[in-house]
Amino acid sequence: MTLLDSRDLALIAAIVALGWVGIWLLLPHRHGGVKTARAYRVGALLSAIAVLLVLPYLTPPGDLLARLFFYSFSLLALLGAVLMITARNPVNSALWFAVVVLSSSGLFLLAGAQFLAAGTVIVYAGAIIVTFLFVIMLAQSHGQAIYDRSARRPLAASLTGMLLLGALISAIIAPGATRKDGDPAPIYSVGAIADQPPADGPIAAVTAQALTETSRLPRPLEQGETPAHVAGLGATLFTDHLLTVQVVGLLLFVALIGAVAIATPKAPIRPDRSTASSSPGSATTNPGGVS
Amino acid sequence: MATWQIAVILVKIFLIVGLFQGAVAYMILLERKIAAWAQDRIGPNRCGPLGLLQPLADGAKMLLKEDVIPGYVNKPLYILAPAIAIVMATIGFAVVPFGPAGLDAPTVNGNPIHFQIAPNVDIGILYVFAIGSLAVYAVILGGYASNNKYSFLGGLRNSAQIISYEIPLGLSVLGMVMLARSLELNDVMSWQDRNGLGPIPAWGVFVQPLAFLIFLVSAFAETNRLPFDLAEAEQELVGGFHTEYSAMKFGMFFLGEYLHVITVSFLTVILFFGGWDAPFLGVEDTSWIAAVLKVGVIFFKVTLMVIFIMWIRWTLPRFRYDQLMNLAWKALIPLALLNLVVTMVLIQLFRGVG
Repeated sequence: MTLLDSRDLALIAAIVALGWVGIWLLLPHRHGGVKTARAYRVGALLSAIAVLLVLPYLTPPGDLLARLFFYSFSLLALLGAVLMITARNPVNSALWFAVVVLSSSGLFLLAGAQFLAAGTVIVYAGAIIVTFLFVIMLAQSHGQAIYDRSARRPLAASLTGMLLLGALISAIIAPGATRKDGDPAPIYSVGAIADQPPADGPIAAVTAQALTETSRLPRPLEQGETPAHVAGLGATLFTDHLLTVQVVGLLLFVALIGAVAIATPKAPIRPDRSTASSSPGSATTNPGGVS
Repeated sequence: MATWQIAVILVKIFLIVGLFQGAVAYMILLERKIAAWAQDRIGPNRCGPLGLLQPLADGAKMLLKEDVIPGYVNKPLYILAPAIAIVMATIGFAVVPFGPAGLDAPTVNGNPIHFQIAPNVDIGILYVFAIGSLAVYAVILGGYASNNKYSFLGGLRNSAQIISYEIPLGLSVLGMVMLARSLELNDVMSWQDRNGLGPIPAWGVFVQPLAFLIFLVSAFAETNRLPFDLAEAEQELVGGFHTEYSAMKFGMFFLGEYLHVITVSFLTVILFFGGWDAPFLGVEDTSWIAAVLKVGVIFFKVTLMVIFIMWIRWTLPRFRYDQLMNLAWKALIPLALLNLVVTMVLIQLFRGVG
């Protein structure tokens, strides 16, 4: 059974090959050396062709304006991703990562996932990348280190990445990958299981005992009705995925305790008398100090 | 989306951007006048009657001055930073209603005209916070790209401050969000209008007084206004993250800061002072006269808030850096969490009453 016709197969192979060579040429040298400008130019050209070859596989939304935004965000995200891994300055890498995150949240917005878009921007662009920038800037006070300028195993790494991309594209466009109306949903929610006629065996036992009325969404969505984004998300999280939420909360709590345990300053082996006596502020900030 | 809808949106964008950029020019004049009044001076009075043409002279000066780019800066990031500052300050207005929007919007031929650039965005407040969290890039990049120790220190201080104060800012808003059961700013306003005890409206400042205080303090820190303007402490940092910037690039940082003040004033008024809510106006008035009145009321309240923010500048001295961080992490965040829990419990107990 063939999942893809030969045209798709050739296109995907071309994307993988062009992207591999292009990104390998664009990546920094293995020992942090400088490549010639021609290598960068050829690499940029090949990567750009690979990025353009991906575009036919995207399914744009119907509206003209939405389509315009969709293609801009997609191109920006792809270019940002390539530039993020190939930039030689880690600060620029972090900024290109921010571009990727912002473009992806633009795509989320176009797909109607408003909360996901806002959450991505707040968490990734607003907090995580800013922390990256802090660390990179403070670590760079004496110029760029060799480990920042060199790429580790560029040939194998770019091949692996592009093969993964090829596998993803083929999995997405393969016939049967998109669900039709009559097909059963691939992911069951608790509500969906509860609505099914009672089956025999363990599923019936679990659904009969574990489910109460609170573990269902208030009512199914009508056709053409916009879902209440945050309210709907909250309802799903605290009914269908209640256990997951609690486990994740516990995990975060454990991580928090661990962070506090690691970050609390230990009592110094030999007390530093010079600073403890000179400034009044340091006496209060070091309560564990041996006096 | 029909063509007329796009046209209406474009008109609103041009109107809002133009109006607020013009307002910023006069806010600078207002700030200087209030500073002069606080210091017993006269203030700018040379350009036009009462100095009213001073903003034009300032703007011309900003645009016509020589734009010096020092040789040692990281040029792409150096140019990017002020652009980020002004873009982030401007697009934050997209979901802020400046009049009746949503249910009580006035109609033309049965089509509602919302006084809001992007109406019916479910996540209004989250969007404002997302944009606000991006504004930190301007400061951190400005400090880094300048390649100057003082600028870098200013940038670091400021980004740590903004990241820290975002937490109490977000937590303090959640109380109002839970009461109104919506993240949309229109719904928060109409909730404040619909509820209340007799003549006393259910403004956020009455139902969530602690949250209001926390929000106000955090908002001052987010906008870098004076008790928290460590990033540009002239005495220690020669100006802070914008030391190396001149002419309009400096002006763009300046403009961004004042636009932030306007955004924060709008948020405060909408969340805690009822927005367009006045004793004679309600959510059920959907005529055009009521709409104009509501716009007037909201702009009046915002003006008062802006004047209050400028007045505070000459009232409180600047914080020290450790005091700043202690205030956020040891005082405001626990208080905001307490407020959140108490609000939750009360809502759960009195469910169905309000």
